[in-house]
Amino acid sequence: VRNCALGALAISTVLAGLLAQPAGAAPASVPPPYTGIYQPHGVDEIGLWREDDEDERQLAASNLVIRDEKLTAYVKKVLCDTVGGDRCKSVRVYIIREPTFNASMSPNGTMRVLSGLFLRVRNEAELGGVLGHEFGHFESRHSLEIFKANRSGTDVLAWAAVLASMSASYRTQNSYQNLELSVYGTLFRYKRDQEREADMLGIGYLNRSRLRPQAASKVWQNVMAEIEASSRVRGLSKPNFNAIAFTASHPPNAERAAYLAELALPDAASRDDGGERYRAALAPWLPMFLDDQVKLNDFGGSEYLIQSLAETGWTAQLWFARGELYRSRGNQRDMARAAEFYGHAIELDPAVADAYRGLGLSLFKTGQRTEGQQALRKYLELKPNASDANMIRMMVPKEVSEN
Amino acid sequence: LILNRSKTILAIALAPAMLCVSQAHAHKLHARGVAVAVAGSPVTVTPTRDWNQLGGNIGKATERWTLDGGQLNDVTFFGGIAPGKPLVKERSKKRDPLPKFTKDTLLVEVPELLEGTYRTYKDLAAFQLLSAEPMTFLGHDGVAFSYEFTDADQLTRKGEARATIVGGKLYMITFDAPRLSYYGKVVGDFRALADSAQMR
Repeated sequence: VRNCALGALAISTVLAGLLAQPAGAAPASVPPPYTGIYQPHGVDEIGLWREDDEDERQLAASNLVIRDEKLTAYVKKVLCDTVGGDRCKSVRVYIIREPTFNASMSPNGTMRVLSGLFLRVRNEAELGGVLGHEFGHFESRHSLEIFKANRSGTDVLAWAAVLASMSASYRTQNSYQNLELSVYGTLFRYKRDQEREADMLGIGYLNRSRLRPQAASKVWQNVMAEIEASSRVRGLSKPNFNAIAFTASHPPNAERAAYLAELALPDAASRDDGGERYRAALAPWLPMFLDDQVKLNDFGGSEYLIQSLAETGWTAQLWFARGELYRSRGNQRDMARAAEFYGHAIELDPAVADAYRGLGLSLFKTGQRTEGQQALRKYLELKPNASDANMIRMMVPKEVSEN
Repeated sequence: LILNRSKTILAIALAPAMLCVSQAHAHKLHARGVAVAVAGSPVTVTPTRDWNQLGGNIGKATERWTLDGGQLNDVTFFGGIAPGKPLVKERSKKRDPLPKFTKDTLLVEVPELLEGTYRTYKDLAAFQLLSAEPMTFLGHDGVAFSYEFTDADQLTRKGEARATIVGGKLYMITFDAPRLSYYGKVVGDFRALADSAQMR
C-alpha cells in the first residue's frame, strides 16, 4: 500500500510536469529575434541530432528525391522570402516524389517537401504559409520537446504498470487504464498545441514578409474542400472538420483555417501572393505531378484539384489530365466525357501525343472504332517510338496505316 | 506484387497488440518438373527449378511465389480476375478503392491497370511503364510489359509481366525484384516459368 501511495505521488508529480505545457502561444506578432545557427545541447538533443544526421544521409541518397537544382532553389527562395534570409540559412530543402499533401522539418535543419504539396498550393504565399509552419516547429525545437514528453509519459506508464501488478485488484487495474488513457490523451493534446504554436509562428513570418498572409488560411479551406469532394464521390458521409479525434496529431482543419484568417495582418490583404511566379516555376513539373495525382484512383479529389488549377485558365495539360482521369474510371459516360476533354487538349496544343492515344482508346470503347483508329494513327505518327507503339499498331489496321 | 506500406500510426499503443500476432502462414515447395495449377485457375505451370509458394492471401484468384523472399523476388499469378474486380483485395472498399478490371478494359490498358493498382495501394508516385509489346500468352493474344518503381523502402524495383484476357477474365503473371542484382539474377527463371504456363 505504501509503495502504491508513493508511486501515485511520483506519477502525479510527473503528470503535473507533463500537463504544464505552453497553453496557447502568443498571437501572431513579430517572431522572436533570430539567435543564429543553433547547436544541440544536452545528451537528448545531441542524440536526436545524430539520428537526424543519419536520416539525412539516407535521404540525400534516396531514389525518391527529385534532384532538380532549379525547383529546389525556388522552394528555398520562397522559404527565405517567408522566414527571412538569416533564418533560412540553416535549412536544406529536399523535394520527395510522393503524391500526398505534406512537408516536414526535423531538428538538424532538414526540410522535406512532398511533391503532392505543389498541386495543393496555388501561389508563393500559400507555399510560404506551409513552409513557415514547418520552420516554426524547427525554430521552437518541437521534436526535442515531444521526444521528452513521450519519454516521460511512457516512463510513468511503465512504472505504473509495475506497481499495478503488485496489487492485482480490479480497482487498481481500472485506475491503471484510466492513467494510460490520460497520459496518451495528454501527449496527443500536447502535439496539437505544438501545431498551433507552429501555426502562430508561421503566420508571424508571413505577416512580416512581403507575401500575403491571408493565404495561410486559404490552404486549409482548399484542403477541406478537396477532402469533401473526395468523400462525396466515394459515397462517404460528409467529414466533420471540427471534430478532434482522441489520437489527432493536428488541430481540426476548420479551426486552423479560422484562427489563421484572424491572425493575418488585415492591412496586408492587398499584398502580392506571387501566383504568377509560382505557376511559371512549376510549369515544367505540372504534367508529372498531375499524372501522379490522377493515377491515385481518387476521382473526387483529383477532379477538385484539376478544376481549381484551371481557375487561372484551362491548359492542354489540364484537359489531358482530366481526360486520363475520366478514362481511368471507365464508365461508358466517362469515356464520352474523356474523349471530349482530350479533344480540348488537342485544340489547345496539337502536339500532345498522349492526348491522341487517350482520345483513340476512349473512342474505341464507345464503339467509334474508325475515328478511334484515326486518333491512334496520329499518336503513332507523333510518337513512333512510344513504349506501347507495337501494342497500338495492333489496333490500327495495317493497310490503312501504310497510307 | 509486393504489398508493404509502412505507416507508424500509434506505434507505441499498438506495440503490445502486435506481439500477439504470430506469422502462421504456411509456405509450400513447388518442385522442379512437376506441373501445378496456380491461383485456383485452369492455368498450370511447370517450374524449371524449385520455387517457394508464399502463404498469406493478397486477393482471390492470386498466388505468390518466390525464391529468396517476397521482398527480393516475387512472382504473382492472377488466375482469372472477373470484370468489376480489383487485382488484389482492397483495404477498404469505400475509403481506399482500387482500380477495377472491367469488361471494356483493352489489352493495351492492362499495364495501366497494374500501374494504377501499385500507385493507389502503395501511395507511390515513382512508377514508370517501360515497354509494352504484343505476345501470345496462354495461346491467346496477350501483352508483355515491363515497369520500374521505387517503393517506400527507397529501393527501386524492376518488373516484368505477361497478361491476356480469356473469356472476359484477366490472366496475368508478374515478376518484381530489386533492380540492383536481384532482377537480373532471377528474370531468366521467371521467363522460363512464364513460358511453361498453359491453359487447361
